[in-house]
Amino acid sequence: MAFLIRTIDFTSSGREIVRDRTVDQSEVTIGRASENDIHLPDLAVEQHHVRLKDAGGGVLGAEAIGGLGFDIDGRTEKNAEIDPNIGAEISLGSSRLAISRDADGPVQIVIKQVEKDEGASDALQGFALASALPSKRSMAWVLSLAILVLLLTVPIFTHLTRDPVENDPENIGEGQVLFDASWSSGELSMGHHDLEDNCEACHVTPFVSVQDETCLTCHEELGDHAAMPRLKDGMPALSQGDAIQWSIAETLGKEGPLGCVSCHSEHEGPVKLEASDEQFCSDCHNELDARLTDVSFGNASDFGKKHPQFRPQFYTAHFDEEPKRVSLDDTVVERSGLIFPHDTHVSENGGVARMAISLDQYGAPLECGDCHSEWSDEALIVKVAEDGGRPSQYGDFAPVEMEPACEACHSLVFDRAGPNFRSLRHGDVDDLMADLATMNRGPSRPRVEGRNRPGQFARGGRYYSNFGRPMSAYIAINRALEPTGVCGECHIPTSTGGRRDLIPVNLPDRFLMQGHFTHEAHGDDVAECTDCHATDTSSEATDLLIPDLDSCRDCHQGESAMKTEEILPSSCAMCHGYHTPTMPWRPEDHPDQPGGGMDNVAAILSSLRR
Amino acid sequence: MATVQKNTRFKADERRRNADHVSFLKHKKFRYLWIALLLCIVAGVGYAMIDQDPRPNGGSWYGYTLGTIGLLLIVWLSLLGVRKRKITTGAWSLKAWTSAHVYLGLAVIVVGTLHTGFHAISWNVHWLAYFLMVIVIVTGIYGVIVYATLPGPLSSNRNEMTRAQMLEALTALDRQLESAAQPLDRQQSDLVIAALGQDVFYGGAFARLTGAYPLCKTKKALRSIPEGLGASDGPEERVRTLLTKRSDQLGQIRRHLRIRALLEVWLFIHIPATIALLAALLAHVVSVFYYW
Repeated sequence: MAFLIRTIDFTSSGREIVRDRTVDQSEVTIGRASENDIHLPDLAVEQHHVRLKDAGGGVLGAEAIGGLGFDIDGRTEKNAEIDPNIGAEISLGSSRLAISRDADGPVQIVIKQVEKDEGASDALQGFALASALPSKRSMAWVLSLAILVLLLTVPIFTHLTRDPVENDPENIGEGQVLFDASWSSGELSMGHHDLEDNCEACHVTPFVSVQDETCLTCHEELGDHAAMPRLKDGMPALSQGDAIQWSIAETLGKEGPLGCVSCHSEHEGPVKLEASDEQFCSDCHNELDARLTDVSFGNASDFGKKHPQFRPQFYTAHFDEEPKRVSLDDTVVERSGLIFPHDTHVSENGGVARMAISLDQYGAPLECGDCHSEWSDEALIVKVAEDGGRPSQYGDFAPVEMEPACEACHSLVFDRAGPNFRSLRHGDVDDLMADLATMNRGPSRPRVEGRNRPGQFARGGRYYSNFGRPMSAYIAINRALEPTGVCGECHIPTSTGGRRDLIPVNLPDRFLMQGHFTHEAHGDDVAECTDCHATDTSSEATDLLIPDLDSCRDCHQGESAMKTEEILPSSCAMCHGYHTPTMPWRPEDHPDQPGGGMDNVAAILSSLRR
Repeated sequence: MATVQKNTRFKADERRRNADHVSFLKHKKFRYLWIALLLCIVAGVGYAMIDQDPRPNGGSWYGYTLGTIGLLLIVWLSLLGVRKRKITTGAWSLKAWTSAHVYLGLAVIVVGTLHTGFHAISWNVHWLAYFLMVIVIVTGIYGVIVYATLPGPLSSNRNEMTRAQMLEALTALDRQLESAAQPLDRQQSDLVIAALGQDVFYGGAFARLTGAYPLCKTKKALRSIPEGLGASDGPEERVRTLLTKRSDQLGQIRRHLRIRALLEVWLFIHIPATIALLAALLAHVVSVFYYW
């Protein structure tokens, strides 16, 4: 087997020197010793390093003779087979031996010296993933700077340089601070939804918590639960932990447990303003008299177990200027100045019932609603408004007006003028006098002519009744104001300065002033009027038909009570409000909330179920 | 006495030597795992027991407490990057730091989540900080897993070759290809030139991670010089064989790249996300008190 050994050297000027020699033998040895066929003067090469020999079939075998292996095609081996037709490259020290063969020619061994590869360690860097990705440090810089600039610096800068605007609830604009929406920890409650883009409306001063005065720029009409020193005095002492917390919070500018935000926490999502639970009220009201000894109302903690008796307001004496509050546990006598037996009017038989049946307007015995109208009547609201009132001043029912409610039976007609009847003006004794003065004073003709029955059945007789229309003859000015006169049917006569007069009617606008009650929630499917108001047994107008605590407790028990068919667990907020003690907490006071208004009971129920 | 001293020292050395071979996960019999578990349990029980009014919230006293713990932990955890560059010995061994880093880092996800009070997720700097924290922790978990599983495959793929040898093998093949391709025609020569000219590290991070190199010129050349094109000992066949060898060598290099990429990729998220998290935490804390 022949080997063509070609040595390629370079002169110092870079010129190539090629030396060829052919050895015709079956094997070739390579090493540092000079007796090798291929002599490589390189200390990294062993004296006798590699032997190449014919392994048959045109394949060369390469074996390491000394202890060290050799590099072939980049890997270190001690034995290798080389197909010269494909070629291989043996690397020994600084020499590179390329083995190949042209067709049928001798095996060529081309020997070259290689420079040490300076770039090898650089090339190794390519194995690291860092060579294919942006550097961790630059990514860290970009990300953190973006966050610090966009989410911190820009909002702070624009907040400090903004032009402060007075809050106007009628005209809520967008805030001037940029990117501070990214600071919002959650959506605002529904009532404050319009402020979502106007953080600085509430967050006025940096590092100062939302202040009450800021809340009051919009909610200025909101009532205090009680005057501030009393409110604080009425609170039970804070627990040690709470006291520490509040002292820290107050040091840092919070306004204490009586500040708006201590109850009204925001950014809790688009929720409705929830009524407070019973505990919230009973914290103070359970033993309030121990801290506020001069309060006029009793302690309360649970409607079913601890709640003072109702104290409705009404007039306890004729001619009183103001109504008085009297506990229903005391003797209750209402002096309204009226004469009105409820039992007679609501009875299903008897004269009143017959009369009502005979009138088209009723057609049936009287019901409560025939006289007591709810506010659903628009005209009624308008009329009350014209008189300077508003429905909320009253309860669910409009005040009873004499003319629409009573006059169908208790007629005020006193004269006929052509085809029309003339009615007495109701409400003022002077008007009455004036009307009566114009009355035709001629004697009344007999009602039935020519067919008088004999005997005592006649005017002034034992059996006489006037079923005809009221005629002037039966209403005399001096009789109208008498107990048997037309006014005396309902009013109590008196005299003022020697002149006949009537005791003024004194009915309060509302009876229960400190709690909220809706008849609507107690409608037909819940209760009849008479279940709560004892109209069918009340024969005197001095009876006060306001139900007492016990009758409410038939259905309403405290928040912790078990809900049953009959029992409705009822928290304080069902009847009472915090900011408006004379008015209850009512969803309709928060019209921005969906479902506000009519579903207050449902809302309270759902809050109870929580 | 001397023997006693010798024995003591021998035992101490043995302990040290043994300790050297204990994984950072098992360091000191899982000391930091227990500490982290204790922290999680205390935080969780506190969350469940302490009545927060009106509802759990990062702004309640317990929320502030958890937030402070979480913040201090995160800052300390991020200091591993500083600690590992300071070579020290003794009580503050890097292994202890790493062990604590892993287990306390896992505890942060519990502390941080309780700090949120499970409020509704929305787009803001607070949730940004939370999700950066989650990203950091999840990539950290990934890192622990790959550090435990991938060094084996990486080593066996090497087949006793160094990275330099792999590259050297490739260049050796390239030199042979260069001379073997001399007889080829223009079109085939161009294919070989393209294959030789393509950077061994061609392909981006995605190619490294997936091991998919659809535009590999060596493969293209192999496809374009099909088997049996020329004589069995002709130049085409030689080039083909060399190209196959080149492709195999590239395959080894690319498997190496893939395993290395899988080993390293998490750090490219973990580290920038950590720094971004520190920035987001700063924005979170400042904004909360700025708009208090």
